Amino acid sequence: MASAAAAAAAEWEAAERKVLVARKPCFGLPTACPTSLPVLLYLRLAEVPFDIHVDTSFPDADHIPYVEFGDCVAFNNERGGVIEYLKEEKIVDLNSKHPSVSPADVVSTKAMVSTWLMDALQYELWVVTDGSIAHDIYFSDLPWPIGKTLHWKKARDVKQLLGITKLNAAEKEEEIYQKARAAYGALSLILGDQIFLFDNSPTDADALFLGHALFVLSALPDASVLRGTLQIYENLVNFVEHHKVRLLGDSSSPGLGSSTSPSSSTPRKRASAGQSYKPKPRAKKERTVEEKKFRQRSKYFLAAQLVAVLVFLSLMGVDSSELDDDDGIDYED
Amino acid sequence: MAAAADPAADQNPNPKGAKPHEPNAEAEFAEEEYDEDGEEEEYEEEEEEELDGPAAAAAERERVQSVFQRLSSDPVAIRVHDVVIEGNTKTRDEVIEAEVADLLRAAPTVQDLLHAASVATSRLHRLEVFDAVKITLDAGPPELPGTTNVVIEVVEAANPLTGSAGVYSKPEARSWSLEGSLKLKNPFGYGDIWDASGAYGWDQTTEVGVGVYLPRFKSIPTPLMARASLSSQDWLKFSSYKEQLLGLSFGLLSTMKHDLSYNLTWRTLTDPSRASSMAIRRQLGHNLLSALKYTYKIDQRDSLLRPTKGYAFQSTSQIGGLWDNKGLRFFRQEFDVRGAVPLGFYNAALNVGVGAGVILPLGRGFMNSSSTVPDRFFLGGQSSPVCSVSGLSSLLGFRKRGVGPTEARRLDPNESGSGSAAPPGRDYLGGDLAVSAFADLSFDLPLKLFRDAGIHGHAFLTAGNLAKLSEGEYKNFSVSQFQRTFRSSAGVGIILPTKLFRVEVNYCYILKQAEHDSGKTGIQFSFSSPM
Repeated sequence: MASAAAAAAAEWEAAERKVLVARKPCFGLPTACPTSLPVLLYLRLAEVPFDIHVDTSFPDADHIPYVEFGDCVAFNNERGGVIEYLKEEKIVDLNSKHPSVSPADVVSTKAMVSTWLMDALQYELWVVTDGSIAHDIYFSDLPWPIGKTLHWKKARDVKQLLGITKLNAAEKEEEIYQKARAAYGALSLILGDQIFLFDNSPTDADALFLGHALFVLSALPDASVLRGTLQIYENLVNFVEHHKVRLLGDSSSPGLGSSTSPSSSTPRKRASAGQSYKPKPRAKKERTVEEKKFRQRSKYFLAAQLVAVLVFLSLMGVDSSELDDDDGIDYED
Repeated sequence: MAAAADPAADQNPNPKGAKPHEPNAEAEFAEEEYDEDGEEEEYEEEEEEELDGPAAAAAERERVQSVFQRLSSDPVAIRVHDVVIEGNTKTRDEVIEAEVADLLRAAPTVQDLLHAASVATSRLHRLEVFDAVKITLDAGPPELPGTTNVVIEVVEAANPLTGSAGVYSKPEARSWSLEGSLKLKNPFGYGDIWDASGAYGWDQTTEVGVGVYLPRFKSIPTPLMARASLSSQDWLKFSSYKEQLLGLSFGLLSTMKHDLSYNLTWRTLTDPSRASSMAIRRQLGHNLLSALKYTYKIDQRDSLLRPTKGYAFQSTSQIGGLWDNKGLRFFRQEFDVRGAVPLGFYNAALNVGVGAGVILPLGRGFMNSSSTVPDRFFLGGQSSPVCSVSGLSSLLGFRKRGVGPTEARRLDPNESGSGSAAPPGRDYLGGDLAVSAFADLSFDLPLKLFRDAGIHGHAFLTAGNLAKLSEGEYKNFSVSQFQRTFRSSAGVGIILPTKLFRVEVNYCYILKQAEHDSGKTGIQFSFSSPM
């Protein structure tokens, strides 16, 4: 195993270029996809020089983001992801540089970010908002029939993953936001007034949380509940701002509620997304009872119509043979 | 036609002069064969018969014979007054009339009318919705001399639902496939045929689809076809990707020589093996292919299985990108020329052929953009170049897709580090420009047993080359380099046509191949559809 790990590291060293393949930039971020952003930030935190190649045609791929070095590739859907692979192969391991950091704390923080906060973000992106944000990030370069179908599929998959059904929609939403609030609170306590989450030294947990928070503050609309929750914790917002300037070189302030990102192409879109931001599950629950009744009644009505038509046809079917035209031979007589 | 058998009738026979029909005494003459211009005609004649004894029968025979004499000597003018259609319960009159009415009405003489009637019968049979078709020429109305009513009697298919299964070879497919289908004939009375089919191909292609065929739609004279299909093709072994296609295709024009179709397909390329090279990895994903394809084909060879004389030419043009600038945009052109020359001895024939194809991406910056891998040209495979006209891809002796530009697959450092693993292999990327040629000498084998079974031998020489032009590579392209790197192979073999397959056993010797080509000298088997 040691030799194998060394082989990967050797390939990394020997590679002239490292290429990160990620989704397209948007909302002032170098890549707007919440799965790709942490990987980019991790590489930037580790001060690894790399190029970015944008993939526009495979929004539902599991393997993106991935990093190419030489003839080798580290995929997102292998060995726990790109960051885990790089750590395991000892290619880029931020945590090892600072042994005073407790690995148990780092692991539990990462688990919290990648489950509770990720769920909340996915919920807002795919279920709550009107879809324009997701469209801009994932589907804007695909022809619309493909884009629409994939979008619908992804929204359905996210609902299944989160266990959301029509009946429990409101409860689930409450649960998701509650967990997010708890996570932000815990992170705020962990961070305190440090520069990084743990001991003033960067870890992969920083990359993960930074990726999440940057997305929430830059891409989600103003009326987003998740965004509002995050903005309560000033130290988290300052953390994001500070590292955004440092790592991404952007001087705009994403956290203060106004849409003033000069390099972003979508300040207008954010505002409009906010206007069309509806709390859908609640409305659904209220309408459900009435809707159910209406649907039931209309089903009965349609069934009655169908039965009537069938009865009519079967009664008339007995005489249908008389309807034949008979072009008889012209007999001369 | 109630024949005017009276020899005293004048030159324009008046059907009225014939004895009138009486429904209770009819006799039908058996089908007569009437030769006109070397073609056989069939028609039925209904005539009344008076059962008065042998004298009447003799008079009858004389009358009929004189009709035939007159018909065989001069053209006998006639005019079709009415076309009457009987026996169609489901099928609409307009459909049948549109197929045959003009043809029948245009016939100026009886002879032409008989010929037209046989052509009309075969046209109606070709619609595939009738079990039997009978055309009768009957007397016109008494007040209009020199006219006839044409009566078309059809018997509609008793069982509208038929199923079939078999081994077929489709022109776009690169090999044969096992196909099963269900057909529903004429449910709406327009002569429409609906079918649902599933196919499994030898090259790991699977397809399910539903389609409809309309012989004519309003005023468009050629048949229309529409088909929705879901198919998948597995190229993991050759190029590390799998293709899934969900598409609609419409056949807009389909005649002997011309074929125009429109295709709207959602194509997804995936790589479940995660081992593809960078060039293939960059192409994975979804795209929309919206393309118009035009094929012009002439095939004057005397046989499809073993041509000995004649020539064939096919040109296929495809232009993609009719959706918007987000779909695939390219122009693809293929030419194929074949010729066959008989040599006197042993039933031998020399077949030669040349094919060329090119694909160009379109759109802004097209000189540097890349073409999509599934649309490129590939050479290799064991299919015989002689039989089909679109044989640009076959290069005997080389594995399928085994020629052309390649790229190394993904390297897994863990595996290569252990020292025992083989190198990762290469993906065949195909080429934007393809040229291939062949010469094939086929001859009978000396044993009579083989000759009777249709088993014959052949000696062949094939050559081909692929080049990449997209992504700016055209600047590095030179014709002399292209000529120098032509791959070629030669060999001899035996061809056994059986009922199910056409089996070829060839010994191929690779004359020239490039570094990464997978050509192998040795004995190879190839199976193709017997057509």
